[in-house]
Amino acid sequence: MAIDGNQRAPIRNFMPQLRRDVAWRIILFQFIVSGLIAVTLILSSVLSVESILLWTIVGVSFVISLFFEFSLAFYVARPTKDLMAALTHVAGEPTTTTPPNPNDSRFIKNGFSDALQTIYELAGHESDGSSIKTTESSDKEIPVVPSTDSVKAALNNTTCGFVVLNHERKVIYHNKAAPIRVDTDNVESLELIFSGVDTIDSWLNECEQNSVHAEHIWTRIPNRMPDADDRRFFDVIASYDKGSDNETVLTLVDRTNLYDIGEQELDFIAFAAHELRGPITVIRGYLDVLQDELNAVLEPDQRELFHRLTVSANRLSGYINNILNTSKYDRRHLKVHLAEDNIADIYDVIRDDMQLRADSQGRILSVNFPADLPTIAADRASISEVLGNLIDNAIKYSNEGGAINVTASVKGNFVEVSVEDFGIGMPGNVVSNLFQKFYRSHRSRETVAGTGIGLYISKGIIESHGGTIGVRSEEGKGSTFTAALPIYSTVADKLISGDNNNEGLIEHGNGWIKNHSMYRG
Amino acid sequence: MAIHSILCIEDDRFIGEMYIRSLQKAGYTVDWVVDGNDGLIAARNQPYDLILLDVMLPERRGTEILDALRGGSEDLIPNTKVIVLTNFEQDDESRMAMQKHADAYLIKAEITPKKLIEVIEQLASN
Repeated sequence: MAIDGNQRAPIRNFMPQLRRDVAWRIILFQFIVSGLIAVTLILSSVLSVESILLWTIVGVSFVISLFFEFSLAFYVARPTKDLMAALTHVAGEPTTTTPPNPNDSRFIKNGFSDALQTIYELAGHESDGSSIKTTESSDKEIPVVPSTDSVKAALNNTTCGFVVLNHERKVIYHNKAAPIRVDTDNVESLELIFSGVDTIDSWLNECEQNSVHAEHIWTRIPNRMPDADDRRFFDVIASYDKGSDNETVLTLVDRTNLYDIGEQELDFIAFAAHELRGPITVIRGYLDVLQDELNAVLEPDQRELFHRLTVSANRLSGYINNILNTSKYDRRHLKVHLAEDNIADIYDVIRDDMQLRADSQGRILSVNFPADLPTIAADRASISEVLGNLIDNAIKYSNEGGAINVTASVKGNFVEVSVEDFGIGMPGNVVSNLFQKFYRSHRSRETVAGTGIGLYISKGIIESHGGTIGVRSEEGKGSTFTAALPIYSTVADKLISGDNNNEGLIEHGNGWIKNHSMYRG
Repeated sequence: MAIHSILCIEDDRFIGEMYIRSLQKAGYTVDWVVDGNDGLIAARNQPYDLILLDVMLPERRGTEILDALRGGSEDLIPNTKVIVLTNFEQDDESRMAMQKHADAYLIKAEITPKKLIEVIEQLASN
């Protein structure tokens, strides 16, 4: 294998060399044959040297034969090429080609798949031989390798977990530190909770289809549910080796110390939110009660003061939700539960609050959703939070008496909600930083109160829905924020198969990412 | 299903009094208990139309109360609606578990008495 020290020519160089050798031999051979044909025709006086027909025949036969010979050579050399590709791969040489798949229908048809399978299996056995976890056979051959028992004892002394799975994915070895669950039938299985679609099973499925050797790393994988005793977090490194007895080897690094701090912080924020929400509940509740009961005796200006109190208390409770969700989002704990919903119903949740807020700040809020909009896939609480944030911003960054228009329209597979204001707007360099955490433009820092997490979490929430958020703005003219959410019918299949979680909905590059799978509580 | 009698299990005095005052004004009959044990006993002794259930309670958590009432093979309060009212951010699993057994799950800070009455009327009309 490639690990030995001998200076050998790389296996991958063989095929190009063979191809060159065969090519120049074919061409040389064809020159000789064509020459012989020409000489024969001239000597037998069928055609003269000056005859155009003679050279045409020679030329055409040269080209046609060349074509057929190259085709034949290609066909004959193809199994060799596949063999060399497989060898190159098992030898571990760097290569850009994918290894030939024994399950390819072409190989099954011509019976070549067994040969490929054998190569992969032999390669698998060879790497067993070099591993230290071997049994009797290597004990005889290589006496320097420590005995199995002492290796096992040594592995049990480490804080790293080691687990070996066979090709049926059964646990055939694990050391002490590995998180293993034993069920009532005494069957051992991995005790790890993978979140999202990037699970070990899905990775192994992919390996079985496409790979001979593969490696994959997961981080921050817990072994138990939150609040369970002895909950630990692991970074998991998996190596896959097709056909080997020890097909999958997992190395688990216990990172509880590192990740648990984040969890405790989240606990702290959850408790802090609980404490803050108590007084807010009372303030909002009694304002509600008092406003009702005093309605008859209040002067108009006193009523306006009540409105201001209500608006402020409501905003406070909105900020707490923003803080909680940001904290969860940063720890990849924010999980949105998507259901079929329509934008007008979602807005109804915050309608009164928004209207009151706009009125008390002297903005003219007009909300018009077309009646025929398709339904969307949304988490109602989260999307109402986003709409609240966008409208709140529009109020903050516009002027007394300014209009704020909220509407929605269909854009491809999405319903796009837009919040338009005619306020101070922003220059281009501000727009590019706008959705970053704690970002606040220089000017707004001086003049407008805020935390700088509203747009950050709004973006997180919209992207967790598989949507996009954006802004168009012109300094001095105003801004339009847009949030596009997928039409329910376009994602219904994915949602139903995924138990209505957002996992699998967020497309990123070539694959699905699931790092927004957050626990929404 | 009409809703007349309500059991409110809530340990915060300000919040409890606020709900009682508004609900009574709206014409409901309300009993109020402040700890989890009393809450569970009251819920089992008398057939209320609706229970307002807090989560962070002394003696016995709201999760345990709901589990004791509806978690077993038999629903002990088949003719009673349950609204979970909490300010605590539960983790996803616990929240889903409660939602499964409750008729509504609300964050107290988001709900004013007026909105709570709207939710109750909506539950009654379903």
